[in-house]
This record gives sequence, C-alpha cells and structure tokens, in this order.
Amino acid sequence: MAVPTHSSLQLDRLEALLGATWASIREAQAATIKRRSELTKSIERGSPDTSLVVFGSVAREEVTSGSDLDWILLIDGQSVPEHKEQEREIERLLLKGKFIAPGVSGVFGRMVGSQELVHNIGGEDDFNSNTTRRVLLLLESYPVGNREAYDRVRRQIVRRYLGDDRGLTHGGTDVRIPRFLLNDLTRYWRTVTVDFVYKQRADNDKKWALRNAKLRMSRKLIFAAGLAHVFFCHLDTAAEAARTALIEEKDVSLLTAYLSNELAKPPLETIAKACMELKVPKETSCAIFDSYDQFLAILNDPEKRGELEKAQTHEDLRKSAAWKEVRNVSQPFHEGLVHLFLRDNDELKQLSMTYGVF
Amino acid sequence: MRRIGFSTGALARGDFRLGLEILHRHRIDVVELSALRVNELAPLSAAIPHLDLSGFTFVSIHAPSRFDIEEEARVVDQLRVLADQGFPIVVHPDMIFNPGRWQIFGDRLLIENMDKRKPIGRTVDELRGLFEALPAAQFCFDIGHARQVDPSMTEAALLVRCFQDRLAEVHMSEVNTASRHDPISKNAVNAFSAVMSSIPEDIPIILEPLIDEGQSDVATEMQRAHEVFAVVAV
Repeated sequence: MAVPTHSSLQLDRLEALLGATWASIREAQAATIKRRSELTKSIERGSPDTSLVVFGSVAREEVTSGSDLDWILLIDGQSVPEHKEQEREIERLLLKGKFIAPGVSGVFGRMVGSQELVHNIGGEDDFNSNTTRRVLLLLESYPVGNREAYDRVRRQIVRRYLGDDRGLTHGGTDVRIPRFLLNDLTRYWRTVTVDFVYKQRADNDKKWALRNAKLRMSRKLIFAAGLAHVFFCHLDTAAEAARTALIEEKDVSLLTAYLSNELAKPPLETIAKACMELKVPKETSCAIFDSYDQFLAILNDPEKRGELEKAQTHEDLRKSAAWKEVRNVSQPFHEGLVHLFLRDNDELKQLSMTYGVF
Repeated sequence: MRRIGFSTGALARGDFRLGLEILHRHRIDVVELSALRVNELAPLSAAIPHLDLSGFTFVSIHAPSRFDIEEEARVVDQLRVLADQGFPIVVHPDMIFNPGRWQIFGDRLLIENMDKRKPIGRTVDELRGLFEALPAAQFCFDIGHARQVDPSMTEAALLVRCFQDRLAEVHMSEVNTASRHDPISKNAVNAFSAVMSSIPEDIPIILEPLIDEGQSDVATEMQRAHEVFAVVAV
C-alpha cells in the first residue's frame, strides 16, 4: 500500500530508484496519518503557551498496531494552575480514545516547562529525563493541534546548541560541525544503551526482547538521523548560505532555521536523503531500508510483537522465531549504517571519523 | 548616527500633540504619529496641516490597528490623504482585508510583522504572500514582535534578511507575554543587538515602550536603544 506523506519525498525517490517496495513502511505511514488525525480530533486546542507533543512512532511516521503513545504537555509561558487540569484532560481524552498510555518512568505523560529544556543542557540539573525529553523533542516529536509553543521551544533549544558553540562561529577551518549538539546526541544514544542494561536488571528482564529490538532498530535509527543532520550542516548545499553566515557574519540564525526545518523530518526521510545525496551503493540503501521495512512488519504483527514482549529468558529467546527475525534484520541494518557513515562516501567517512569518535 | 525616535502613542496614549511636545522637549527628531484607534485617525488627519513638524527629519503615521472589513474603504481613503502628503503609512497585515485597495499607497505603505496573538503576518512565510500581493510595499520591522514570536531571534534575523530591500522603519520595545509594549529590558538589549547590528544606519528606529504612566522615561528608553547598537558580539 503506497501512501506517500508530505514528508517522504526522498524516501519516495529512493524507493523508486532502487525499484524497491517498502510495504510495511508505507503501511506505517498511512497508520500514522490516521493516528494523528484521531489525536487531533480527540484533543481540544490549548492556549498558545502550550503544545501537546507526542513522541515515538507517531512522530517517526512508523505507527504499527501495538504502538503506545508517549506525550508531554509542553508549557512555554506563564505558569497557571489550569495547566494541571489541561494535563489531566489530555490523559482522560487519550484514555477514552484508547491510545496506549506511556510507561511509568515519569518522563512522559505529564506537563513539562520549557525552562529546564532550554537552560539545562549539561550540568548537574540536566537529569536523564530532561536530556531524554530535549533530545527527543529534536529528533522524534510531533505537535498535536496548537504548535506555537512547540516551535518556539525547539528553535530555542537549537539556538542554544548553536549559539553556545563557539567553534561554529569562530572555528579555524571552513568545516562547520555543531559539535555541542553532536556530543549531546551521542551522549543521549549512549545513555539509552546503558539504561537498557539498567532496565534489564530493574525490571527483571521484562520486555527485554522488545526493548532490545527497538534499541537495535528505531533507537539506532534516530541517532543515525541525528548524526546525518549534524554532518549535513557541512555537506548540504541547502545549508551553504547558513555556513557563509557563520563564517562571515558569526551569525547562527540561518543554521538555526535550517536545522529546525531538517529536524522536523522523519528519521527515515533523513537517512533516505543521505543515501540519495551521497550516492551510496544500492546495497547500502537496501540493507538499511529493506531491513527496516521488515522490522516494522514484525512490530505490526500482533503475534510476533506479543512474543517479543513476553520473551525474557535465554530459553524464551532461543525458542522465539520473532526474536530470530529481529536478529536477522538488525544485523544488515547495522551494517548498512556502518557503510553509509564509515565506508561508502569519503567525505562523510572523514567527518564521522574526525567528529563522531573523539 | 542612528535615527531614533518615538511613537506618540507610547508617550501619550491618544494624544499626539502631547507626544510631539515631549519629543520637542527632548530634541528628538524622529517620530511616528499614532492613530492606533480608528477614531483617532480623522482628528490626526485634520490636525496635521497645523502641526509644527518642521523639526523632524522623519515622520510616519501608524494606521489603526483594529477595524472591520466594512470600514476598510473609509480608512484607506483617510490614510490616502496623509500618504499623498508624503507620510509613510505603517499598517498591520491583518487589517489589509483587500490588498487591491492598498495598492494605491505604493512604497508609502509599510507592512509590519505581528506579535503572536495575530494569526497572520508573524513570520517570513506569513508575510511573503502579502508582499507578493503588494509588491511596492515596504517593511516595518517590529523586533519586539519578532522576539515574542520566536525568542531564539531566528525569525527576527530571517525577517531582516528576507525583506532587507523593503526595510523602511523599525519598531523597538519589549513585548511581554500579554503582548503589551513594555520598556526595554537589559535582556531585550542583548537579544536585539545581534539582529539590529545588521540594520542600515539610515533606517529610522521608532521606540514603542508604553511610558505614558511613568513605567519608564524618554531618556532611559533612548539610552537602552543606543545600548542595543553598542553591544559588540564576542
């Protein structure tokens, strides 16, 4: 089922170029459109100081049958007691709409002020939950209804990453990589991988296989998309004026606008753009996208998803056909990303080696 | 030397004569005559031939900021009399119901970017269509509005870049969360400075902080405005 969305231009082009059919990706996109429409209808429009922001598969345009819904009520403005009521109302309406509630970690499903997101980048007050919300706000978020507060806060965060990065405006070479942002994206990805093991212990392996599958695929995908965004600041011809403004005028405004727009694209679209513009071999693109398509097919199969949710012990995993499928798709996906960033294109390889490792 | 002055409405609400008197007293030669409420327009228009504006190097008129579509033709007629005398007319985009009616102003029409309360005219994307419909119109850049819409100042920088060729006037004040024009704070000075450094020196700067009830004073606001241009980026 080919239902292209407004944001899948590069993905469409890549699929056509390769003569591929990514049925599960398309199905997930169609399900996303439906889910977003249901959400918009369910939620009453809030004040311009607030935005309901959803994360995860709805933001990535990868909705499958068992997708849950992580959300926050983002507040950017005067704090009023009514916000608590608004938070409860969202919770009630989402429950009524049969949306699967977020986990119990406390990161999502609550109101969040912009202050800590914008100001606490790094340092002792940048708690795990704050880092998670901030980075996902950039890499994997979507506003339902009123988006003004959402747009303002995202731009402020991007501006913080760029404005505080002196190397961007005063660097000695013509390479302009936003390293402050890159380092935080990398930190987030590494935190997710460490917390995976923490949760394994804390939750007694509950949902281990599903978590691991997501870590191998969708979590890795958004990190890869983040890396691509960062490196495209240097590689993308569309960012040329922004680079000139950095070098000649010490002005980060154009790069802020460029990155804010690019970050709004779904991660698969970003990786498709990298594959297209860097002209990587067909094998690399197929390894990434065929694998991801199969991954979404697994998640969209209630039986397989259920199997992954239940698998805990080594014995469970050994017996699970779904887990075997996950392993079979995650390996070529990983290899595809390694080829994209570290082998196929000399310039991207150089950037990945120079900035992505040390 | 920057050309900095005031809106009469900020100095004395609804009383342009008092506003001009205050400016004379402070030897400020840049002014925007405010007719923000529609009922202020006719008296202003009638008074202008009798006002002593000889000491001013720049005088613009701010059109009413709220009227109905049925009143548009009458307001345009009244403003046209003033435009014909050479005054630039600053107008809010949401009051341009029929762009065709406003074409007669040519480059004397200055379209201002809006604060976040307004549904249109806040960003480059929202203004672009209006400038296409009114190709001769110029741009009045309200940096306080732009900062309120996007505190990262990205949109402010984009507005200046995109409409640089049309830029004819700048409005400056602190715009608070309730969209009121407040005295300029130190934070605003810092936020404004990077963008304002790219504004050509001959563009008139109109200060709009409401100081008619003693919230601040002319000298302090002028000093703040000069500080905006004095801040040097690291």
